Amino acid sequence: MDLTLIVVLVIALALFFDFTNGFHDTANAMATPIATGALRPKTAVTLAAILNLVGAFLSTEVAKTISGGIIREGDGGVLITPELVFAGLIGAVVWNMITWLMGLPSSSSHALFGGLIGAAIVGAGLGAIDFPVVVSKVILPALLAPLTAGLVAYAATKLAYAITRRYDGKPDGRDGFRYAQVFSSSLVALAHGTNDAQKTMGVITLTLVAANLQAPGSDVQWWVIVTCAVAIALGTYMGGWRIIKTLGTGLTDVKPAQGFAAETATAATILASSHVGFALSTTQVASGSVIGSGLGRRGSKVRWRTAGRIGVGWLLTLPAAGAVGALAALVAHLGVGGVIIDAVVGVIVIIGIFMWSRRSEVSHHNVVSEVADSGRAVKIKRNPKPKRKAKK
Amino acid sequence: MIDWAAFLLVLVSALVGACVVVSAYALGIRLLTLSGRTPLVTPAEFTDAITIVTPAEIKAAAKRAAKAAKKSPLTEGQKRLALFGAWGCFALSAIAVLVGIYLILGEHLTRLVGGA
Repeated sequence: MDLTLIVVLVIALALFFDFTNGFHDTANAMATPIATGALRPKTAVTLAAILNLVGAFLSTEVAKTISGGIIREGDGGVLITPELVFAGLIGAVVWNMITWLMGLPSSSSHALFGGLIGAAIVGAGLGAIDFPVVVSKVILPALLAPLTAGLVAYAATKLAYAITRRYDGKPDGRDGFRYAQVFSSSLVALAHGTNDAQKTMGVITLTLVAANLQAPGSDVQWWVIVTCAVAIALGTYMGGWRIIKTLGTGLTDVKPAQGFAAETATAATILASSHVGFALSTTQVASGSVIGSGLGRRGSKVRWRTAGRIGVGWLLTLPAAGAVGALAALVAHLGVGGVIIDAVVGVIVIIGIFMWSRRSEVSHHNVVSEVADSGRAVKIKRNPKPKRKAKK
Repeated sequence: MIDWAAFLLVLVSALVGACVVVSAYALGIRLLTLSGRTPLVTPAEFTDAITIVTPAEIKAAAKRAAKAAKKSPLTEGQKRLALFGAWGCFALSAIAVLVGIYLILGEHLTRLVGGA
């Protein structure tokens, strides 16, 4: 096979994956400040894009293995070829596009792992997968991330409301949490930039090494850093409005104090996990935080149906991206023609999903305004005034 | 298998970190309100479903806050003390944000400077 063609295709697809990663994850940092009106939608995505760009340039230390140990790579394991990476990326990109269409926040890392697992199974059978690592790196963290963040956000929300509660009916000043939301959401966006762009830098660098176009162990090339940083920033700026809508208004009605507590919980959990070396998905942490903050406010309701849909999406991420990756790997085994078929079908599917999304477009113009309009139309009962508990 | 000790460390440090930051900022707001300077921050865009605020409502809220400040039982000295405490709390929150930025960037910046 012509190495240059497959390497070019992998780089192009990896950059598109980086782009989808960006717009998929804008919601993690910016859904709640947009929902509470702390930031205008366009201002929020611009700020997130700039912080992702800065973060991507600052953090260029890439992983040493492409799958983080999920696939048995190297001696006695699977030989990571550009074709395998290409098939894995197709699985990840297609799943990212499907979940975006459905407005579901899901982990791009898990989609990439899923795609690679599917492609590796086709190439080398089930023995290529280290299943205990899949459990410890993907399945258990997917359960623990939302639970941890939810608990932290619940406690933080309870505290925020307890400290600012006024029993005399005078103004409580909770609007002031909107200022704080700008900083807390910026922290989440910056942390995201330092983590996620390097994922694609790693994929491209390891592909260049596999194709003998770069020496093993050498630094990431400057053009890889620039293109990955720009791709994730551009994706973030485009804003995955569908997912912002789900996270900002679909799970619970977010108030400024709740939003601040949720974002602080997200930032604290991500910072703690990355420093302890216990990797947690930003998306799963952010979703758990929003639910936790919804449970923490008196009179607030969590829409468990939406939460359930998100949970099902997480469960399906690995097998669905894996199935697409496996199919792409089967076709790629046909040779150059197979890879070209993969690329053409992939482009058609992506365009098809995009065209389908135009039937019910969600943009910064209507990201949460429909809900706001319903708020104008319907008289919503305000929360009852807080009362002190009677002394026994 | 999973490193449960590491997970517990993540849970406890995230819980303590988030609660300290949120409590400090909330206490700052409480003290600012006590000092007679209730923060009134209208949404940049009315996207929130429930808190639809009309200009008349904003005016009324400002009036209510001013009235509450006038009727405060605190002396001028106590109000100044509350204001001082509020800014102290906000400063604590700002320090926490800076620590967060350091945790995110510190290692990378050190490496960049070291590599230069």
